[in-house]
Amino acid sequence: MTSDTGTVRPVTATAALTRVANVVRLHLTQRSQLLVLPWMILGFIFLVNLVIWWLVLASSAPAELASVSQGMQFSGASTFIFVYMLVVAVQAINVTFPFALGYGVTRRDFYLGSAATFVLLSVYYALGMTLLATIERATAGWGLGGSMFDVVYFGSGTAAQQFALFLLGFLFFFFIGAATAAVYVRWRSRGMLVFFAALTLILVGLSVLATSTASWPLVGEWFARSGALGVAVWSLVPTTLAAVAGFVLLRRATPRN
Amino acid sequence: MDETRPIFIQIAERIENDILSGALPEETQVPSTNEFAAFYRINPATAGKGVNLLVDNGILYKKRGIGMFVAGGSLARIRANRREQFRAEYVRPLLAEATKLGISRRQLADLFSSEATDSETIAKDTITKEGAA
Amino acid sequence: MSTVIEVAGLTKRFGKVTAIDDVSFTVQENKIYGLLGRNGAGKTTLMQLLTGQEFATNGSIGVFGRSPVESAQVLDRICFIKESQKYPEDFSVKHVFRSAPWFFGGWDSAFAEQLIADFRIPTDRKVKKLSRGQLSAVGVVVGLASRAPLTFFDEPYLGLDAVSRQIFYDRLLEDYAEHPRTVILSTHLIDEVSNLLEHVIVLDEGRVIIDADAEEVRGSATNVVGARGAVAQFVGGRDVLHSEAIGGLASVTIAAVSPDERRAARAADLELSPVSLQQLIVRTTNSSTKEFEQSA
Repeated sequence: MTSDTGTVRPVTATAALTRVANVVRLHLTQRSQLLVLPWMILGFIFLVNLVIWWLVLASSAPAELASVSQGMQFSGASTFIFVYMLVVAVQAINVTFPFALGYGVTRRDFYLGSAATFVLLSVYYALGMTLLATIERATAGWGLGGSMFDVVYFGSGTAAQQFALFLLGFLFFFFIGAATAAVYVRWRSRGMLVFFAALTLILVGLSVLATSTASWPLVGEWFARSGALGVAVWSLVPTTLAAVAGFVLLRRATPRN
Repeated sequence: MDETRPIFIQIAERIENDILSGALPEETQVPSTNEFAAFYRINPATAGKGVNLLVDNGILYKKRGIGMFVAGGSLARIRANRREQFRAEYVRPLLAEATKLGISRRQLADLFSSEATDSETIAKDTITKEGAA
Repeated sequence: MSTVIEVAGLTKRFGKVTAIDDVSFTVQENKIYGLLGRNGAGKTTLMQLLTGQEFATNGSIGVFGRSPVESAQVLDRICFIKESQKYPEDFSVKHVFRSAPWFFGGWDSAFAEQLIADFRIPTDRKVKKLSRGQLSAVGVVVGLASRAPLTFFDEPYLGLDAVSRQIFYDRLLEDYAEHPRTVILSTHLIDEVSNLLEHVIVLDEGRVIIDADAEEVRGSATNVVGARGAVAQFVGGRDVLHSEAIGGLASVTIAAVSPDERRAARAADLELSPVSLQQLIVRTTNSSTKEFEQSA
């Protein structure tokens, strides 16, 4: 394929889409790390839990079973995978951004492509987790009463509700991770210090406010009223803010070595 | 490639040398500019400049769609040029140097003939040695 | 010959440091340019500005007629190979050569494969496990195989050994002859690349001090060595680029001499020797540094 040297190729809508798609491909170049490895680790954690549940059951008297099953709820699965995705987002911005700039990708295309990747991964993992949660429920805790994917405080909603929960959760972690990394890429160490200092101040400030006005019960009420799904839907606000912030920050970021 | 003179001139000279020595006979094709560039490891534009210089001087000519060829009569032309150069670059300085060293015209002539005989002998010896080897 | 890059009054400041100081020049299509200068002269910064990776403080940049910043149209036709390119963790060489074609429309896979073999790059290894030379080779191969209409090489061959560097120069020349494109090589190894260059831009402390045809620059200076008096007489009132003296001997660098002057020099027992591109630039750079020091 030869490229003409005289005139510049005109930009078309398809070309723009292809460019963004190429960024997605770039992120997914290391497919196994992004799409397979987390499941493998999750699988390992699951097997370990399986053994523990079996041991616990085997050594418990029938009378204790009720209270024992309470303790067999391990919500670490979701936590682990959310944190993993947070790290993926941080890496994407921190390392892949300067690399993509080296390939001549514009910051805009890079961010759009990254955001698209985050959404795709969120859907992929939300589907997987929902599937596992459904199986868990169907088998009454994998035949052992264990609970790893279908966690109590997520509410026992429908599969669709669980999917939404997971999806929104993943999106939150992706974009928060990306925005935080963008702070670093834009302003480096000094920026990070300032950012975290400011964040701490804000959080502490809010806590003080809540304590002094005795509004913690209100906070608790709100969580209870909204339910897991309600909170997740509200999380779209910080998620969107983070997404926009990430874009704004990267627009003026440079790949300084 | 030495650094005293522009490279394109050196390229032109090398091509001329090849014509003089008979390596590039008249009406035969010379390598392309790109081939020269790759061979001498220089920029193609520079090689092109050297070739164009020879075209301007009537040493080479272009056959459309085929390439560069050595022009008829270029051998004679190059020789004539070189003789002029020989006079300016060797003979004149030689005479100046001889004057400086106080060598008379007569002594100079003697030097020439003895040197010529010596070098012939050396050349013959070399040929004999090479023949025997 | 169309203009591919047009820079006017370009300035870039990093806090108090002025990396690029009021620079103006143009780059013509399909020539091999040398962007030369000492370490820290501003070569990398300039290239980052030209590729939209850094933002200018002042002035204008036009690449293919428009600003390169955030312009996919422009960036699509550029390949910028840096010396210290960082790759994503766990990226293997295979991944690099799989992803590069997506971003360079003119990519030639067959050429890339041949180059990978020429440079002996192990394709199955992780990038972080490559030696410095192999890492540089990867960059060089991407730059060559990209066939990008405007290709920048920012000293990516520093890690390469002499043999590999020669392979790079040879392949670059060959490919450039077959598929012309605008190439900008930055280096401080001037003599090695000197014959490849058609045009030379020399930066010193963020300013352009030479912007000329390579052949012109090459033939533009001569060293005159001999007895002090004779040298002084020969040089006369000409501009002196550089002078050294030891005992009764002097060595002076001046502009080019004509064949007649050459003979006059020989007659006066003076030795004329060539000044390589590198020496010339070194001497011009040193003198300009002195100028700045004096005016500061």
